[in-house]
Amino acid sequence: MKIHAPVENHYTANNAGLVSGERPCMADSFQKRSFEKAFAGSRPLKYPHIGVYAGTGTSHSWLWFIDIFDRMGFHAVSILDEFDVMAGRLDTLDVLAVSGGDTMAIAEALGPIGAQQVAAFISSGGVYLGSCAGAYLVMNSSKPHLCDFNFAAVKITNLSKHLPSCRGMGHKFSMAYGCDYIFHPVREAVGLRLSGNSPFKGEPSFRAPLYGGPGMRVTQGAQVLARYDCFTDKTLFLVEKQLAHETLINTAAAVRVRKGDGCIYLFGPHFEHPHFLQANRLVAEAIYWDLRPKPAAKRPWSEGIKPLSTRDSSMLLLTLKRELSNSRIVATGLEMLPVKWQIGAKIYEPEKLRVFLESMWRRLKPLEKNDRLFVAAETSQTLMADAAETTALLRRLKSDIDLGKDTRLLAGRLIHLLHRYSMSFLELYFRCVWQIGQSGEQIELPKCPR
Amino acid sequence: MEYLSTDKVLVVDLDKSEVIEDELSDDLVNEKIGGAAINKYLYEQHVDGDPVVIGTGLLTGTLFPASSASVITAKSPATGLVCHCPVTLKVGLEIQYAGFDYIVIKGKSQAPSFLWIHDGVADISDASDVWGKDVWETTAAWRQAMGDDLIQTLVIGPAGEKGSDLAQICCNFWASGDRWGFGKCLGSKNLKGLAFRGMGLLEIADAEEFVELSLDVLEEVKESAFVGRQGIGDMAEALGESGFKEWLAPVVHRHSACYNTPYPTNTFAFLSEDPQKMEEPQNEEPGFLITDLFGLIGFKKAGFDVKDACELLKVCARYGIDAAGVAEQSLAAGKTSIAAVREGLTEFTGDVTRPGKGIFSPWCPNQPIFGEFDAADTDVEAWWERRMAVAYIFGIHPIFAVMSPEIVEDDLVEIAAIGTELEISQEILDDVVAYLTG
Repeated sequence: MKIHAPVENHYTANNAGLVSGERPCMADSFQKRSFEKAFAGSRPLKYPHIGVYAGTGTSHSWLWFIDIFDRMGFHAVSILDEFDVMAGRLDTLDVLAVSGGDTMAIAEALGPIGAQQVAAFISSGGVYLGSCAGAYLVMNSSKPHLCDFNFAAVKITNLSKHLPSCRGMGHKFSMAYGCDYIFHPVREAVGLRLSGNSPFKGEPSFRAPLYGGPGMRVTQGAQVLARYDCFTDKTLFLVEKQLAHETLINTAAAVRVRKGDGCIYLFGPHFEHPHFLQANRLVAEAIYWDLRPKPAAKRPWSEGIKPLSTRDSSMLLLTLKRELSNSRIVATGLEMLPVKWQIGAKIYEPEKLRVFLESMWRRLKPLEKNDRLFVAAETSQTLMADAAETTALLRRLKSDIDLGKDTRLLAGRLIHLLHRYSMSFLELYFRCVWQIGQSGEQIELPKCPR
Repeated sequence: MEYLSTDKVLVVDLDKSEVIEDELSDDLVNEKIGGAAINKYLYEQHVDGDPVVIGTGLLTGTLFPASSASVITAKSPATGLVCHCPVTLKVGLEIQYAGFDYIVIKGKSQAPSFLWIHDGVADISDASDVWGKDVWETTAAWRQAMGDDLIQTLVIGPAGEKGSDLAQICCNFWASGDRWGFGKCLGSKNLKGLAFRGMGLLEIADAEEFVELSLDVLEEVKESAFVGRQGIGDMAEALGESGFKEWLAPVVHRHSACYNTPYPTNTFAFLSEDPQKMEEPQNEEPGFLITDLFGLIGFKKAGFDVKDACELLKVCARYGIDAAGVAEQSLAAGKTSIAAVREGLTEFTGDVTRPGKGIFSPWCPNQPIFGEFDAADTDVEAWWERRMAVAYIFGIHPIFAVMSPEIVEDDLVEIAAIGTELEISQEILDDVVAYLTG
């Protein structure tokens, strides 16, 4: 499979090689990562099947995982909700990525069955990438719902019995954690420093954005891969600087914990944010390093789905393009309005709506270049219906805002729909990219945001 | 066509309710450059369908000063000639960013419809709920239905639906540069209008040099004779309408410019509130944006005071009719009150004075304003026709083109070549001007 890729992104080339049958290896001692033929002490690489979790409780940041995986040529990607997890779909995966959102809601939605599935997945050799809420989720806790996910003996440093004074952004400053509070000392880009432990090698200083993720303190059995090192000119302080310093600096920002045959990576900041390339590369390193050695699992969606006819594929794409355009137009206008919504424990601004839409919009062009889409007819109908309903809800939202109505419930409904719609679309996208790649054709990847 | 272009020509066949996308070829741009010239070429290609062609200038929507204009080309029901009018404000720009360089509309829709053009998608949509409504009601309805207040529209009012030769295609809520009765053309097609919105991007071949040259031209423009003046009042005075600015002053609230145009050619008049008060207006519609210089001059000459004259501009814009034509016919018919003009709106049709050769809209004054142009001293008519041709080809605001001698053909040709990597030359421009002006 040949893939056009940004020059700096050698992961894309490496993945292309893996798909075409090459067997590069990864070594422990290189300062600068390179992929070469096998030698003593090197780890053979294989192409991972990755699941991105987008179920109840997740926010929009799982789309950042999508963007970086797409950009780096990881195209065997499934997008799962809690029902998929509970139904055992983790069996088909090598990697599970869980990003940000409402940790309690994620835990509650997955429940004990979901927790068991995740535990079994990791223990049997899977790699768990937990960023922000995804990190909090699997840290040992006695709290309801979270207590089902005690996979990592890692302590939270930004936990307190009493809330400190908030200097700003009160609505994003804290969340209840049983009888305690998790507070967020800073937001935006923070400076990090590698600890020198594999697999995180290379340039020691880098940045990643913090949006409510934990500072961490590890006990035996866990490995610190990176620490919070300093604040940057972009860092926004929500507490007094001194307190922010005490809470975060020199605590762990990235941690690796073995569990059974698998591995858990916990990231406090969003290493998957597409604007932070060095952090993104470390995510790729983590995936390659701890992939289970057994052959790649079967991908259920690659089996038995015949492509739509050319006519139906055109109809689907035209409908999606029409409705995504209609939706984006309304969503862009909403960003100029002074409105936000509390849904669960999270605050959503209108900008968040467009994140979902843009993620799909910029992936239309690569799909348009192919005359047949690998999607079941029923899924195609659902996608078109969801696309039209998204436009209708957005227009209603705008109208209700103009009339001064309470739009919280409508916004909640819309966000739920956007999750479902974008999950379905992106599954289609990755399936098509994968299938086309398997056939040896070229595909032009979308320009992901920088 | 890779640069300064969406690379798409939309052909809308209203008979079949079908839209087809064609590619915009480099050869066509090399030969005809853009704007009115390619419009005319496409008109000729589709003449059997009695087309209305809407197209962007080669530089429309870029950073080049005054690059706000798109162009409508059709056979005028008033004159019988194939002619052109500009589309300015923010509408000209939005056409470019909505995803098509050129839109050919032919045939006739079976039922009232409108075109919703967005992000490279063209939808023939039902307009039965707005057929019969005025321009303001229609634009407001479409913005409300589509959920965005920034949607730009080209709309006809009852004048177009009823087939008046003075029917105008209006821009959003306001009068446009259409003095050819193109509103009747759309009305005859059962087409209420077009709505545009897009978040497209334009690629530029050598972006750095393009921007640099644009800024150089802007620096020169900042030294121009128009600096320090603004709005309709100053323009009218420059055309010899002595005392006009003072006459207009009591209602002037502010002046506004079309996209990227250094001179604000439009003036917002407050009619129902004090324009001097710096507070939120109490009324939802406190006034009117004057975009039609000759319409206002016409009503002044017909004896209306400034508030009534502006009120009549509003009446004409809502009805979708050429205000300058209405003013001329009102004067001739002795209609001296707002009520008389309003009652007689359905009667306004037929011929009115339209200076020029009938190719480019006389909405733009046919003489230099503020600035001095050597060629205009020799033969002002020939100068004006050429100046309009060049403006309509590149998408330069026509009024600004007669205001700023600093906008020169050499720079336009150079920047076009820089932006597109095509071999656009002065010789080609001369040929294209000749093609347009006959």
